[in-house]
Amino acid sequence: MKRSLAAGLLALFASSAFAEEAAWAPSTFELSNGMDVVVLPDTRAPVVTHMVWYKVGSSDEAPGKSGIAHLFEHVMFKQTKNIGPEEFTSIVQRSGGQLNAFTSWDYTAYFERVEKSQLGKMMELEAERMVNLIINDDPKGPFISERDVVKEERRQRIDNNPGVILQEKVLSGIWKDHPYEITVIGKMEEVAALTPKDGLDFYKQYYSPENAILVVAGDVTPEEVRTLAEQHYGVIKPTGTASTERKWKPVSPIAETQLLTHSDPKVRQPNWSRYYLGYSQRRQPEQALALDVGLEVLGGGLTSRLYQSLVEKQQLAISANSYALTTLHDEGPAVLTASPAPGISLETLETALMAEVEKVLAEGFTEAEVARARNKLAADAIYARDSQSGMANLFGGWLAIGGTAEQILAYPDDVRDVTPEEAIAAVRAVFGAGNNYIEAHLLPAEGDL
Amino acid sequence: MRTTQLILASVALSALAGCASGYDWMRGHPDTAELDAAAKPALDVKVHDGEFAQIQQFVTPGGVSVWLVSEPSIPILAVQMAWKGGSAADPAGLEGLAELVTYNMNEGAGDLDSLGFTTAMEDLNMSFGCTASPEWTSCSVSSLTANAPQAMDLVATAFTAPRFDQGPFERFRREEEVGLKTRETNASYLASRATAQALYPGHPFARETSAESLAGLSTDKAREHMRTLMTKDRLIVTAVGAVTPEELAPLIDKVAAGLPETSTVSPVAPIDLSKASVTQTVVSLPQPQSLVRFIGPGIDRNHPDFFPAFVLNYTFGGGGFESRLMKTLRVEKGLTYGISTALDPNPSLLSWSGGGQTKNESAGEFIAGVKEEMTAFVVSGVTEAELSDAKAYLVGSYPLGFDSNAKIAGQMMTVRQEDLGVDYFDRRNSLIEAVTLEDVNRVSKSYLDPARYSFIVVGEPQGIKAPAPAE
Repeated sequence: MKRSLAAGLLALFASSAFAEEAAWAPSTFELSNGMDVVVLPDTRAPVVTHMVWYKVGSSDEAPGKSGIAHLFEHVMFKQTKNIGPEEFTSIVQRSGGQLNAFTSWDYTAYFERVEKSQLGKMMELEAERMVNLIINDDPKGPFISERDVVKEERRQRIDNNPGVILQEKVLSGIWKDHPYEITVIGKMEEVAALTPKDGLDFYKQYYSPENAILVVAGDVTPEEVRTLAEQHYGVIKPTGTASTERKWKPVSPIAETQLLTHSDPKVRQPNWSRYYLGYSQRRQPEQALALDVGLEVLGGGLTSRLYQSLVEKQQLAISANSYALTTLHDEGPAVLTASPAPGISLETLETALMAEVEKVLAEGFTEAEVARARNKLAADAIYARDSQSGMANLFGGWLAIGGTAEQILAYPDDVRDVTPEEAIAAVRAVFGAGNNYIEAHLLPAEGDL
Repeated sequence: MRTTQLILASVALSALAGCASGYDWMRGHPDTAELDAAAKPALDVKVHDGEFAQIQQFVTPGGVSVWLVSEPSIPILAVQMAWKGGSAADPAGLEGLAELVTYNMNEGAGDLDSLGFTTAMEDLNMSFGCTASPEWTSCSVSSLTANAPQAMDLVATAFTAPRFDQGPFERFRREEEVGLKTRETNASYLASRATAQALYPGHPFARETSAESLAGLSTDKAREHMRTLMTKDRLIVTAVGAVTPEELAPLIDKVAAGLPETSTVSPVAPIDLSKASVTQTVVSLPQPQSLVRFIGPGIDRNHPDFFPAFVLNYTFGGGGFESRLMKTLRVEKGLTYGISTALDPNPSLLSWSGGGQTKNESAGEFIAGVKEEMTAFVVSGVTEAELSDAKAYLVGSYPLGFDSNAKIAGQMMTVRQEDLGVDYFDRRNSLIEAVTLEDVNRVSKSYLDPARYSFIVVGEPQGIKAPAPAE
């Protein structure tokens, strides 16, 4: 691989800056019941981030039960054998802790951030709700009101926002007949029909130590974590009920090119997007990395080809980007998107944008712009170390889909190995003229403009 | 300039020196060798060894006051700069001028046009940008420690030789033109505008950009206004990263060298919400949920009621699931995904406000629920257990705000902007511990009466009075 002197020098700067961290390394080990543990030392403040990741997400839901993974995550805060109704949060906050949880297609994670002396208590609480959850089946009780909360959450996140409504439709198209097809929060009518029994069945099947990963980041040693984890989690018996086989499968190519539109009186600025099928870092690690680098050059920032052509030179757009969702277990979309400058039609914008894309596909990238993109992605990995919870999320999310800590540590070097040829090859393979795509037009209501 | 020490202090680069294929990176700084021996200005560094951060206070040889926390464990540097005075000081009819100034700060300087400047930043893996809020103009720089001298050199050119080119200016206007349209269906914006128009019309905080004000802007006006907003006398700096005061001071001085010594920015006249008449306003917006905001008078940090109110706010709506508003409106009634409240101690607009979203059908029930809870605070106050839970969380969770360089830099900037004193982090928990049940319930009674609160609703709410005529 040939690099310009300046770019090579910067790469070395970044590389050696990371190498300086040689002393910094995560520890990983496994408890006797199969629960994986990751420790990420960070001694800057007397604080720890404690997370339990379960290897279950919305892609594991049974037909007709969309939203159960996420609704169940809410129910985990309700009540256990030894913790009274709504007391879980009270205990954590009384301990000076912050807590929350989140659900994705691939996993569900629960976390507490506390002053370090409280770590053992947090483990005790998470271990308790791993085995002793109580789901109240009163037909007017807390499960039902939590269902209403989730319906409000869906309205707030999706239904209030025309752009997100359109995106939900597009992603369902990209992932047609794949376990990612229905959005994580679920369909409104299916969420409305979920029952306490659905919650209990889900809990019994998926919540067990061998299906979980413990991540602790912060001012703590691996030995301290091991001792506490053996004490609180190590004693829990594996259930063996979580299927070792996830429902993951390669995403099928888009069957046919289609145009989806959404008109809404709230839209005052149209938007144009095209979604292609991209790569995943788990399934196609090299191509996914090359695609990330290539899309950084094509439409990542202000120096990118799309921004410079569409926004700066031709002044047809106020924004123009490309990006890909490569961090799910299975393949995700690679997206071209732009918002027109005042007075410019989506048709004019599309013609100009695709002309620029085709020009890039034909001519390829220069060494210098690829070097800049590589260095940016590698430097981002150093800046990311500033956030303790961000690091815990990075490792937890990657391990929950079967990756390893070593792969994360190797990322800066791997990204620096991407050549211009590899980057353009990945972009060509994804956006090539023969590939189907879903185009999305976000439009004002008729007569509004 | 003593860049040697900065560079060599880094283990990273001593390693690099051995393997950089003969490239002498020092050539980039020919003045280093000569100045190295001569310059060791004794920097008077006052160290405050606090419980949450060891803050090094110093004034650079060029006269800039800096607070620095040296944090060697990650090879990055974050610098924040701020000047009192922001968009509220835009001349009447030129709303958007401060925003135009800050937009331009990373759009070209010296020989570098917009693309050249951005490319230089990318080559250095750094970021630099500025923003204007109503009363503050702020800039921030992030860099890898190894590139810090070059990064700060580039930032310095933005202050000494800004270009204010026509291209970025016209792009700014195109973006703003789109912004004028999209804000008309943005629920948060509509709520803020309705609040301003109802409670402090005519105040600088109620002014906003318009097609007319944008038409009046020019690059010349921006260039001139930059010299009003960014001056040496008002500059305050905080930094966190793998540097020492001696390494950082000359870098800051280069940045400040091009600034005018002083300027006049008129202070903002404070708004007294307790004198505004209470309103219930509905702004119509076609969407499934209604956004409900409520706002009443707040309390100055120096008032004896401030810390009792701060502690009370946890039980009111600041404590997440531990707050009564969340317990009632979310957990018990399932009316919302979230509701929260906050005290704003900004002396120009002291407020105690909150908000949440609920489906349009339950907007009336939601507002009634908020008012009922507020009335309960007035009538019976909080319990001893609630007070002790609030204190336990507020005190116990305080270290969580100091676990990253970015958070520490931000916390220090707040302390400097609000003039709380370098020992504020160390005093803060005892101020909370000192709050009594009597204090809290006195504050509860005098501040949380729903009759003191205005309610602003955006959506298509049901169960409340008919919408006011559209603007």
